[in-house]
Amino acid sequence: MSVLSEHIEKLTSADEAERSYAAEDLGYLNEAAGVPALLERLDHEPSPVVRDAICQALIRLDGDEAIQGAIGLFASDDAQIRNLGVEVLRHKGDRSIPFLKKAMQEGDQDMRKFVLDALSGVQASGTADLYAAALADDDPNVVITAVENIGKLRAGEYVSRIEEILANGEHPMLIAACLESLAEIGNESSLAVVRRRFPELTELPTFFLTPYLKLLGAVGREREFVEIALLLPRQAAHICPVILSALIAIHRRCIHQTCPPPELSQAMRDVLETVVEGRDPPACRYQAARVLSFWAAEDDVARFLISCLESSERLVRLGAAEGLRMSQRPGLEALLLKHTLAETDIDVRPALGR
Amino acid sequence: MPELSIEQFQKLSQQIYLKLGLHFDDKKVYFLKTRVAKRMAALGLVDPKDYLFRINYADAQGIEMQALANLITTNETYMFREYDQLQAFANYCLPEVLSAKQAKGDKTLRIWSAGCSSGEEAYTLAMIVQEVFPQIQSWDCAIVATDVDENMLRKVAAARYGVRSVNDVPEEYREKYLTRSGDEYLVKPRTAALVEARHLNLHERLAMRAMRNFDFIFCRNVLIYFDDASRKAVVDQFYNSLNKGGYVFLGHSESLGRVSSAFHMKRFDNHLVYVKE
Repeated sequence: MSVLSEHIEKLTSADEAERSYAAEDLGYLNEAAGVPALLERLDHEPSPVVRDAICQALIRLDGDEAIQGAIGLFASDDAQIRNLGVEVLRHKGDRSIPFLKKAMQEGDQDMRKFVLDALSGVQASGTADLYAAALADDDPNVVITAVENIGKLRAGEYVSRIEEILANGEHPMLIAACLESLAEIGNESSLAVVRRRFPELTELPTFFLTPYLKLLGAVGREREFVEIALLLPRQAAHICPVILSALIAIHRRCIHQTCPPPELSQAMRDVLETVVEGRDPPACRYQAARVLSFWAAEDDVARFLISCLESSERLVRLGAAEGLRMSQRPGLEALLLKHTLAETDIDVRPALGR
Repeated sequence: MPELSIEQFQKLSQQIYLKLGLHFDDKKVYFLKTRVAKRMAALGLVDPKDYLFRINYADAQGIEMQALANLITTNETYMFREYDQLQAFANYCLPEVLSAKQAKGDKTLRIWSAGCSSGEEAYTLAMIVQEVFPQIQSWDCAIVATDVDENMLRKVAAARYGVRSVNDVPEEYREKYLTRSGDEYLVKPRTAALVEARHLNLHERLAMRAMRNFDFIFCRNVLIYFDDASRKAVVDQFYNSLNKGGYVFLGHSESLGRVSSAFHMKRFDNHLVYVKE
């Protein structure tokens, strides 16, 4: 009996470990003839460990048979098997692209969606026409997946097409995916398109607001900063971190591009101080302290942040310490040193005493 | 240099969890931020967004994740490390396995300390087993300590440790199981005899297959240094190496969830352990 047949026979052993080892050995043997046996076993295999071993073997097998076999798994009724097919193809790189293109052209909408799942997060060459076709697909799920993949890859060449879909799209999931994707890519031209589609930020449903805020964080300016900050008292607590992240991102970009940071209005200050002192999650309060510290050069803000060093919440103390430290206000050194000596938290101490 | 925002911290900690199985909650924001700042400086990156992109989508080989792992983990080892987790072993898992064995008349107990380094963990387990179950001396008990580094295995065989290694050993254990010898402590022969040092590379699949019939596997703070594929291969092998009802213990912030769905998760007090059912 050949080594190959021996391993194939053991794939049906009663012992789970032996089946797992047989699958592994077929992968290492790297003979195309092992592929049909592995695929056949996958259909009947009850053990998740052996299924995983089969998946790993298909990843290890070099020939095109493993790629074609993995695409064939998309037709399975079993979601776990379909996912194993996606997993195998993600490891095949550029070699799988011609096969995936063919499946994209010939397959139904489910097949086309799985092809894009297999490409998610994968930097492969030769996918341009595949994505072009996906963005023009009739099925919204296919288009959504393509838009999501493009965002993850920050593939700027598709920006205008995604902006077009956003401008005319009706499907809420598709619109949200476009906003997310444009935020990831971070092209400033996108903001005007989004503004035309959604002129009033305060009227947006939460579902769109979160990705919209990410986009504003990625490309917004001073005007958007004020607009976003004033959303804080109007929105639910779970949106608070997204709002604050957008503010931090805009401020960071202002500094980087040496454009003037926005002015702190009394309304904005009140809103931010309320978050720092309020009952939001500690991470949110920390972020609000960091946002306020952009104006730590102003005496009132500095006084407020200094008072935060006494907070019972460690992340508020951390945010205030980091913010004050970065402000480089004269005369702060002795004050921070005093707090360093009194501070017991191992993370806050170095932030004070850096 | 701009710092990681909270949202970026959360994205990164999610990615670290996916890749390394390590959990970082919001309390660790400062810790992670400072480590990421070091990596960004080393890579010449200015915007944390670029660092996140790199680690999410431009690190197919896991090289950057490994570099970050080296900064966020510690390979320090000492006896009774992660004491709370050992309490879960001593108070719940070990008694459960021992009573199941006693009911079957099976008087064997096999524990594997995988990636044992200089052996502190293996001897800790030997002390706990004797403490929880003094009759173990009449059982066929083996605590197999494996490592790829022969120098480490020689240290295991010597069973001789400096003060730093034994600092956390409870006083009553120290008196019972260790002997002071100048600046060092020796593991007493009765306890040392339970531990068997063996050379094993966790990446050698055929050698790994010889590791069978274990009741417990301890592999704490080891898998984080492996790439995805190797981690998965090792964890699948652990599954095959365990008896039904056997447990895997990982480091307190490590998780198997993303690597394997084969194990069932059990919670004892604040600790998660993985069991083969």
